[in-house]
Amino acid sequence: MVSAVRLAKRYRTVTALDGVDLAICRGEVFGFIGPNGAGKTTLIRAIVGALRPTSGTVTVLGLDPLADRWELRGRIGYMPQQPALYPDLTTRRNLAFFAAAHRRRGDGADIDRTLAVVELADRAGDPVRTLSGGMRQRVSLACALVHEPALVILDEPTSGVDPELRAAFWEHFRAMAAAGATVIVSTHQMSEALMCDRVALLRRGRVIATEDPGVLLRSGRATVELWRDGVRTSVTLDDYPSQLPGLIGDGVDRIEVTLEPLDEIVLRLVAGDKR
Amino acid sequence: MTAAATHPSRAGAVTRNALAQLAGDRRFLILSTVVPIVVIYLLKVFWDALDTPLLQQSRFAVPGGVFIVHFVTYVLTAIVLVRERVAATMERMFISGYRPGEIVAGYLGAYTLLATFQSVLILAWLTWLFDLGLGLGGTLQVYLVMWLMAVVSMALGMLVSNFARNEGQVFPFIPLVMMPPVFLSGMIVGVDALPTWARVVSHIVPLRYAVDVIHKITDGVGALSAWGSLLTLPALAAAILFLAARTLREEV
Repeated sequence: MVSAVRLAKRYRTVTALDGVDLAICRGEVFGFIGPNGAGKTTLIRAIVGALRPTSGTVTVLGLDPLADRWELRGRIGYMPQQPALYPDLTTRRNLAFFAAAHRRRGDGADIDRTLAVVELADRAGDPVRTLSGGMRQRVSLACALVHEPALVILDEPTSGVDPELRAAFWEHFRAMAAAGATVIVSTHQMSEALMCDRVALLRRGRVIATEDPGVLLRSGRATVELWRDGVRTSVTLDDYPSQLPGLIGDGVDRIEVTLEPLDEIVLRLVAGDKR
Repeated sequence: MTAAATHPSRAGAVTRNALAQLAGDRRFLILSTVVPIVVIYLLKVFWDALDTPLLQQSRFAVPGGVFIVHFVTYVLTAIVLVRERVAATMERMFISGYRPGEIVAGYLGAYTLLATFQSVLILAWLTWLFDLGLGLGGTLQVYLVMWLMAVVSMALGMLVSNFARNEGQVFPFIPLVMMPPVFLSGMIVGVDALPTWARVVSHIVPLRYAVDVIHKITDGVGALSAWGSLLTLPALAAAILFLAARTLREEV
């Protein structure tokens, strides 16, 4: 669906991508996780054909994002990091304009359906400048989805979105993937990694790990508190799935396991610590 | 599929979008109509203060009015398009599938419509204020020149916006594009009176051709007696628009 081979983008003084290899499958919800400046947006822009890589290749839906851009752009939906909307136009007009790029009728059912998904049907007639930041984010998402693309690429779609709506967004991303679409989401919210089928961890322009987030979670440390004959001891396990069974022996009254949170695991990985 | 696969429906969508933005941005509409009106009034005040009955009023007032349209249209078009770049809606247009030619054609459509009304207003004001007395034929001919200059100015604004990353970067281009016409177009001093090098440079100044045609109209011999200059204006507009579409950057 999307693949990158030794993809690099260098500016005069900055290396934004430094030899990225990637393979994203159809129907996956794939996360780009990493701190600000890790190269997430640059990678996304290379995928959508908004920048020319210095070296390496990207293939999207079997096409070259630059040479075949017009064919590709009809099949992808892209939500940039900043909302990129027309503030003086209404929500509906913004959607109609981006739908018209795909030569879809601007007043049809597509728009109503998409507005319902982002829960903005009641604000369809309001100028975007009158909406809150989170609402603008939803309009921007709607603009990326209105033509039902096969590949959806979302650059930090949930930033500025409240937790309730964030959960609804993720539910929708999962539903799109279940319906056969491929969803690429970048985020610096580590907790969102768990919502992805797989994640690529980015650090300084490199992919340092591509994992199932469950595997990532199991690779974390665990702090175990044991009560044996009324005496409490505490140990930290580096590989708890294999070490933990050995601890549960005779005389253990009580055991409490605290797993390292995913965001700490990811932070540790992107900071360059050994596992 | 290539960039050549442009479609009128997409250019139409850009036009509708630009018009809707205009309708939603009253300040812009007011600036693009009120500013020329006020400046032309100042031109009249200046003219009356000069008190030179020997000079033919229309010979200076009409080119002055056309210059004001040229200036305002150029600056506003450049700023609107740079604003699209800053807001990242330009990039989003591309990634959504709008072709450069469709964006240029779409904006041209919308702003031509604006310029059509703007030119009517300005010419009516100019005619009344300066009592031009050009007759219906002469007035319509001046209107055509003013309208063509508005299109040339939009094209220039679009072209310049391609070389600016933000609104601030538009400003150096304003004197660069707008000051030479003041001196090299024949608006104040005839082109023939200029030194050779300046006469050569004046050929790339669109206003020179407009002033040439206007002088023929105000002299009463009609626009067609300067048919070369009259045809040069749309040709220049087409050439600049072509350049604008070619230099519209899609990627970095």
